[in-house]
Amino acid sequence: MTHPATTAEVRERLWEAVAAGDEYDAVRTVRAALADGTDEESLLLDVIAPVQHKVGEEWAADRFTVAQEHAATAINERVVAALAHHRHWDTGQRGRVTVACVDGEWHAFPARLVAEVLRLRGWRVDYLGAQTPTPHLIAHLHHTDPQAVLLSSSLPTHLPRAHSAITACQAVGVPVLAGGPAFGPGGRYARALGADLWAADAREAAAALEAGLARPAPSAVRQVVDDLPHLADQEYTMTVHSRGRLVKQTLTDLEDRFPAMRGYSDIQRERTAEDIAHIVDFLATALYVDDAEVFTAFLTWTAGILQARRVPARSLLAGLDALMEQARDFPRTLGLLQDGASAVRSHPVPRPDTRV
Amino acid sequence: MIEHPPAEFGLTVVSEPMTLTFHVTGELDYDTSGDLVHCVVEHIDRHPGPREVRLDFRALTWIDSSGLSALLMIHRRAGAAGAELRLDNRPGFLDDRLRLTNVLEHLIGCAQPLDAGTPEADGDATRAGVT
Amino acid sequence: MLVVDPHGDLVRINRAARTLLPGAGHGDSLHDVVPSWLSDAHQRLVRRQGDASSVAPPSGAIDERLFEAHASASADGDVVWWLVDDTGRHLAEQALHTAQERTDILAQVSSALLSTLNADRCMEMAAAMAAEHMAEAAVVLSPPHGRRHTLTYAVRGGPATRVNRQIDPRGVPGLSEALQGFPPVPARWINPDDIPDWLLPDGFSAAGSVIVTPLPGHGVPAGALVLLRSSTDKGFSEGEEIFARLFAARAGAALSAARLYTEQAAITATLMRELLPPVLRRTHGVEYAAGYRPAKDNERVGGDFYDFHPAAEPTQETLVVLGDVAGKGLEAAVLTGKIRNTLHALLPLAADHQEVLDLLNGALLSSHHTRFATLVLASVSRRAGRVRLRLTSAGHLPPLVVRSGGEVEQVPTHGTLIGALPVVTARTVETTLAPGDTCLLYTDGITEARGGPLGDEFFGEPRLRRALAECAGLPAEAVVERVQMLASQWVGAGHHDDMATLAVGAPRTGPLTVVGGTARHPLPRSGR
Repeated sequence: MTHPATTAEVRERLWEAVAAGDEYDAVRTVRAALADGTDEESLLLDVIAPVQHKVGEEWAADRFTVAQEHAATAINERVVAALAHHRHWDTGQRGRVTVACVDGEWHAFPARLVAEVLRLRGWRVDYLGAQTPTPHLIAHLHHTDPQAVLLSSSLPTHLPRAHSAITACQAVGVPVLAGGPAFGPGGRYARALGADLWAADAREAAAALEAGLARPAPSAVRQVVDDLPHLADQEYTMTVHSRGRLVKQTLTDLEDRFPAMRGYSDIQRERTAEDIAHIVDFLATALYVDDAEVFTAFLTWTAGILQARRVPARSLLAGLDALMEQARDFPRTLGLLQDGASAVRSHPVPRPDTRV
Repeated sequence: MIEHPPAEFGLTVVSEPMTLTFHVTGELDYDTSGDLVHCVVEHIDRHPGPREVRLDFRALTWIDSSGLSALLMIHRRAGAAGAELRLDNRPGFLDDRLRLTNVLEHLIGCAQPLDAGTPEADGDATRAGVT
Repeated sequence: MLVVDPHGDLVRINRAARTLLPGAGHGDSLHDVVPSWLSDAHQRLVRRQGDASSVAPPSGAIDERLFEAHASASADGDVVWWLVDDTGRHLAEQALHTAQERTDILAQVSSALLSTLNADRCMEMAAAMAAEHMAEAAVVLSPPHGRRHTLTYAVRGGPATRVNRQIDPRGVPGLSEALQGFPPVPARWINPDDIPDWLLPDGFSAAGSVIVTPLPGHGVPAGALVLLRSSTDKGFSEGEEIFARLFAARAGAALSAARLYTEQAAITATLMRELLPPVLRRTHGVEYAAGYRPAKDNERVGGDFYDFHPAAEPTQETLVVLGDVAGKGLEAAVLTGKIRNTLHALLPLAADHQEVLDLLNGALLSSHHTRFATLVLASVSRRAGRVRLRLTSAGHLPPLVVRSGGEVEQVPTHGTLIGALPVVTARTVETTLAPGDTCLLYTDGITEARGGPLGDEFFGEPRLRRALAECAGLPAEAVVERVQMLASQWVGAGHHDDMATLAVGAPRTGPLTVVGGTARHPLPRSGR
């Protein structure tokens, strides 16, 4: 007398299996739902995707270790593989597309889901996986001549590399559909980098492909400054080139301000250096796309993470201060750092979201 | 604001009646080890008959597996010319690599005790031998 | 010269004008004897009361020639029209305009076609552009593969379509010659009625005019181009035939380059297949996983290598090997291929690692060079839930074992590098993995990855050990992925050497119980 489980119930069961590290139970749960008649696309996007999202949130809220997060993701990967294994599909009656992650991007799960959804909808999909070097991507395009490339990136710091991938694909006449949180709210950076289209999720991406994407006029590769003329001021280049020096100087300044830091162990010191390096990386990204949002969003998110780990935002502000000292001659950099500092000060500090 | 590039590779040669000495500066790696082999072999061939070929590594900043391959080749060529190879002022990372690959004894021979080549232990004693 | 009064009547006409306008005579109405462009211009001029200075002289055709009419007012209100024959200049200008347009088109064609190295795509673009700029429809024919040709059709404004079919090119005048690279047959020699249906794109019922021209390639013909117009009135001019040849030269060069690239890529892929690292999988109850990243992003192989020889029976040993040869790129990769082949041949002797290394050393020794390899051999078997490993390092970094509780141990195996010295020695060490333990083999590309927050530090073994401690209890695949990711992120966009890792894991029994307390890294999830 059991009724077929609702999507919400399946999601809850899968989450329990994943959180417990139980691969077999996880696969069983999803297969049972499929047998009960739950639509496969819905399993991928309304069950597995939110569960994976929650894995990330649990990590952010300090309730998952790195190892737990890896294990949970590995289980979700196997759940997706188990679904695909069961499937009989007619490949490719719609056409051929390529799904890849930007070089440097290890976060492949969202791209994997997109690839599976497109296969379900009848596309022939070449899934190139995490961190695809752009030369490999282009060689693949020459070889297969797909109708589109779906380019995924999660971390905004990969935007410069995403940009060179986008222009390279377009120069060989293949349109690029960008997706993933790296491309900003509403895909604003995807537009800035000249992507042909941006999609918020797998369903939107599938709909866009079904509507048809025009091929870009094949031509010479666009230069970076053709899309982003502000880069002519060299502030982005300078920031990237002097990253190590900026981090070292900021560390020294922080030690002057917080004498307690001099007692740090090597490991603690390296963690602090890594934190500063991340700030510099996001600063460089904001300079690249000329948009403070990418920097302020990172800083307020970081403030939330620090809060979850009981570290006061004071240290973050001090780091920004030290960077401002070094950026005095760079107006655009200085402006971004000021925007960042005021964003941290006015940050409401919510606990990271924990609902599925 | 630009970072400094890694130390430039450099080579100075001192040619004496019995001894050829090469002072190696910077990184001995894939890009530079060919130059070292070429230079050393050329000097061995031109020299009337050195008893010793000495590589001085006081200013060496790094060595990779290509660099090690170069040392093995120089050892072979020096041996063929009847000269003994000595590796002077070896930094710790060089000894680590020679020990890991088990070629320390082969390269420096039994005549040279294991720790004789380290900068701390040899110092002036080796330099005195040059004169 | 004509003199016309304000009412539009001819007052005088000189001999030259009379030759041009044979019917015209004194007193005739201008309107009746000259084309309207001139009579209208006269009316406009009269209305403006003779001020001819501010307007460009009117121009137009009389019979087959072009004239410019220059007006000058005479004192009595009559207008003197000087007719200047402008045919030559006009033709020259038109020719110049056409030439410029064609140069632009050719530049555009070259740039567009050279952007793709995919031969099919290249043919589609060539057909579409030919239809767009020179005809109503175009067909690109590839040289034959066996008896079949690839035919790419395009109708102006429509998408290109492609079919592979058996055809008889001799059915089209000039086509089989064009496909063999002979000079094109003049368009006027081709009877459009001879064009078979298979050469007509869908929706193109009959050909009126046809050009067949070869696509010259690099040394070998790259195919043929057929241009079609539906009506016989608009035949191809001689200039258009020449232009079609120029277009075909560019399309042929681009198509040749694309075919050459495709062939080269296929050859490389075939040769590379032997050199690519193998895919590892769970075998006889033991987890195996490996990761590889070559030093250069445009290469797929390098000097690091690993191999996997699963045992035929669960009771036998599986042999895995991971190593590194001095050098980089394809040259180094070829040596790794030799090592892997030799080791494969030595498999029956794998019970004795020292013997395997002796024979491998002998096979690699060369008097010409001292290019050596370092490697670790691991023989793996499983009994009663525990995994037994026999490990031998030949001059390579010793393996690390991470226990399920998070302790990291170095396996103290040590030996001589392979391929440079006449005699090699090595010590084999045995270790056992309990469920949840993992053994990691890695190359120095991991520990010598340079970068980090300060930009100039080695990743180093202590960091690798710390990273492994966090991986306690993870499946082998996750351990490999995490180590490769951390080392890659350590170097960032900077230069790095080849990086390879290989993990052997004893699977956990039951669900994961995570050890190691709280998560430690407060900043971005640069990875998952």
